[in-house]
Amino acid sequence: MSHIHVAVENLSFSYEKNEPILQNVSFFAGENDAIGIVGHNGVGKSTLLKLLVGLDLRFEGSIRVEEIPLEQNTLNKIREKIGYVFQDSDSQLFMTTVEEDVAFAPRNYGLPEAEVQRRVTAALEKVHIEHLRHKAIYKLSGGEKKLASIATILSMTPDVILMDEPSVALDPKNRRNLIHILNEFDHLKIIASHDLDFILDTCNRVILMNQGKIIADGDAKEILTNEKLLNENGLELPLSLYKSDN
Amino acid sequence: MSKINRAIYELQSIDATAKQNRWMNQIHPLVKLILTIYYIVLTVSFHKYDVEGLLGMCIYPMVVFIIGDLKWKDALYRLRIVLPLVCIVGIFNPFFDHRVVATFGSVQVWGGVCSMITLMLKGILTVFASYILIATTSIEGICYAFRLLHVPKIMVTQFLLIYRYITLLLTETKRITQAYALRAPGQKGIHYKVWGSLVGQLLLRSMDRADDVYESMCLRGFNGEFPFGKPKKSAGGDVAYFIFWVIVLFVIRTYPVFRLVGGLFV
Amino acid sequence: MHMADALIVPAVAGTMYVASTVAAGVSVREVKLENETKKIPVMGVMGAFVFAAQMINFTIPGTGSSGHLCGGMMLSALLGPYAGFLTMIGVLLVQCLFFADGGLLALGCNVWNMAFYGCFIGALLIWRPIMKKGVSKGKIILASMLGCVLTLQLGAFSVCLETFFSGVTELPFSVFLMTMQPIHLAIGAVEGLITSAVLVFVHEARPEMLWGVGETEEGKFSFKNTLVILGVLTALVGGILSLFASAFPDGLEWSIERITGSTELESAGGIYDVFASIQEKTAFLPDYALKGSESAVGTTISGIVGAVIVLLLCVAVSYVFKFFRNQNKETVKGNE
Repeated sequence: MSHIHVAVENLSFSYEKNEPILQNVSFFAGENDAIGIVGHNGVGKSTLLKLLVGLDLRFEGSIRVEEIPLEQNTLNKIREKIGYVFQDSDSQLFMTTVEEDVAFAPRNYGLPEAEVQRRVTAALEKVHIEHLRHKAIYKLSGGEKKLASIATILSMTPDVILMDEPSVALDPKNRRNLIHILNEFDHLKIIASHDLDFILDTCNRVILMNQGKIIADGDAKEILTNEKLLNENGLELPLSLYKSDN
Repeated sequence: MSKINRAIYELQSIDATAKQNRWMNQIHPLVKLILTIYYIVLTVSFHKYDVEGLLGMCIYPMVVFIIGDLKWKDALYRLRIVLPLVCIVGIFNPFFDHRVVATFGSVQVWGGVCSMITLMLKGILTVFASYILIATTSIEGICYAFRLLHVPKIMVTQFLLIYRYITLLLTETKRITQAYALRAPGQKGIHYKVWGSLVGQLLLRSMDRADDVYESMCLRGFNGEFPFGKPKKSAGGDVAYFIFWVIVLFVIRTYPVFRLVGGLFV
Repeated sequence: MHMADALIVPAVAGTMYVASTVAAGVSVREVKLENETKKIPVMGVMGAFVFAAQMINFTIPGTGSSGHLCGGMMLSALLGPYAGFLTMIGVLLVQCLFFADGGLLALGCNVWNMAFYGCFIGALLIWRPIMKKGVSKGKIILASMLGCVLTLQLGAFSVCLETFFSGVTELPFSVFLMTMQPIHLAIGAVEGLITSAVLVFVHEARPEMLWGVGETEEGKFSFKNTLVILGVLTALVGGILSLFASAFPDGLEWSIERITGSTELESAGGIYDVFASIQEKTAFLPDYALKGSESAVGTTISGIVGAVIVLLLCVAVSYVFKFFRNQNKETVKGNE
């Protein structure tokens, strides 16, 4: 059970002066929230996630994780609490086998080998891929890679999991499997995606973004069924809702 | 592009053999690495006319291939690069060196012929020896052996990362060249007008990937040092295996055992 | 061209290993000094990139043949000479271990022939001085062409030397040289064109990625200094050449004579000698068959018959061993 929260206040960010990526973004993510950040391509979802783990510190405003402000000297502390799953699993998995990759973080944190092994086992069990432990990364399917990259994060025993477009490049079966596994977690989850069906199945709260701003923040079902709001912001109703209408 | 496919296939098949749970694969990687280098050094140190000594050196690959269940076919396939090279260099020897170094009855053997044969034998044996190492040792094992030999961490890390991303980038390269070939029928290679942009795109994409990989490492506690797995203890069998071959190969290299054995029959 | 294990003797291999290790040591130190942890993944991925890019066939206009990319020059233009050199070592190691291109023993030679010249000479003596006052398309083409041609020439020359001093070929040194250098001139020119095309693209897309541009403050490698260093290098190469030659056994004296017009070459010791003596010591009876045997050298009927008999015996014993081992396994399985 995590007892953690993330507080974002007046967050603004831009690479170049006149092209803001994020403008005055504020939200509070409490423990056990499952937040879906939605919006069409290029609204700043991924940037927001990357800022939350301190991959770029040139932002204005504040990010606090459990009252610890995110800045250069708290970076390691915060990164131990937050796991970030990349969109492209091949960038996330840079070691040669699943075991080596999942063990990378615990070894880096200097844990004794017995504990490293215990964590690896636990992480693999959580995403149900114990059988892939010794497999070479290149032999994994897209779905297996995604699960393995989640395991590499879980071995750090984070309190918060951030995911960038987790459902991209997954076939329907793997997608369902991933939804199932994510719903088993009791972490605070923040998932950025334009796959609204996926968000509907995994999140209880939705933050709708457009042009670097938060347009709406509220109950997932409420926002994702509001066709007018979605259309105004370049999105469409989740497919599953279309079906139930007809 | 079949060349890329072949490279991918070769990497994957070696990886598969190296990860099998066989007796040879269990031997400590350092033992195998040192033994391989030892064997190669001894092999190439034979005199250029010493055909019989090199025949004797065949014992090592022959025995190991049989008891280690290695595939001759795969090893022979690996000769395709080295053997032609060695042949080109050696093929002229019979034309230049007419010293008579042996006589079989009335047949006189020129030094050039002997040195050509030894060169080819050396080429084959050294490739086989490397194959024995790589087909029975995982990349992690080899890296671990390098670390034991105090190869700097940064170099071992490079080796590991290059290995990890080769398959991926080969696949990407294949895709990009296939996409090109589909729109440029009848061309054998890449037209010079797109040399820069085609490879350049691939390069920029690789750089972006490297950025992502770096971020992913940082988020998991990376601070410039790569953690390597903990050592595997070497069993007594490993040491015995090592000592056995060191002695046998040494004897073959230094004493004319075969002449003595042959003397009993001829 | 990758040297193969079979083409060199341990003394040459050892000498080249020492040379390459020194260069690698310097590079490791320099890269650590830069203290840019980001370079580690970048080097790894770029190494894989160079390997993959070398698989692409580029059509050479006007001919039916194709060329490939020059790794060393390109890597150092992007990563700098030190990181580029270490990356090239990784690439060469992968090539030799996984693709049997090159060899474990010849790795020292290959690193020197391809990585050292490409990265150190190419980047420090050619790329950086040319880019000192800013970069342009023309300069990139000039540096790439010059770099690739020159470093490939040096590489080919080293290949000739290494083969020659290993004494594996009876081909006269001059003939070998006259074959290798022109071929590599053509290859170098093509590689230079391809490499410059890629670097020009990078310059247009992301100019900040190019290394060593406009580093005026570091006067270490001004044009004048470059000339001095090139001079020293030539002297060094000449020196090493004579060292090699002097240490070399009489077997190839006649070909040295052809080149230099004299068999008298001064002996001055050096690394090669050290390895040569190690080689002699480790091989007690290096030429046992030669000694006092009028029937000659390492190839006798009894020797070959003996070798074949022992080999067959070993094969038989191995099969017996394997048979019993498999039997054992089966009984173990049966008992379970």
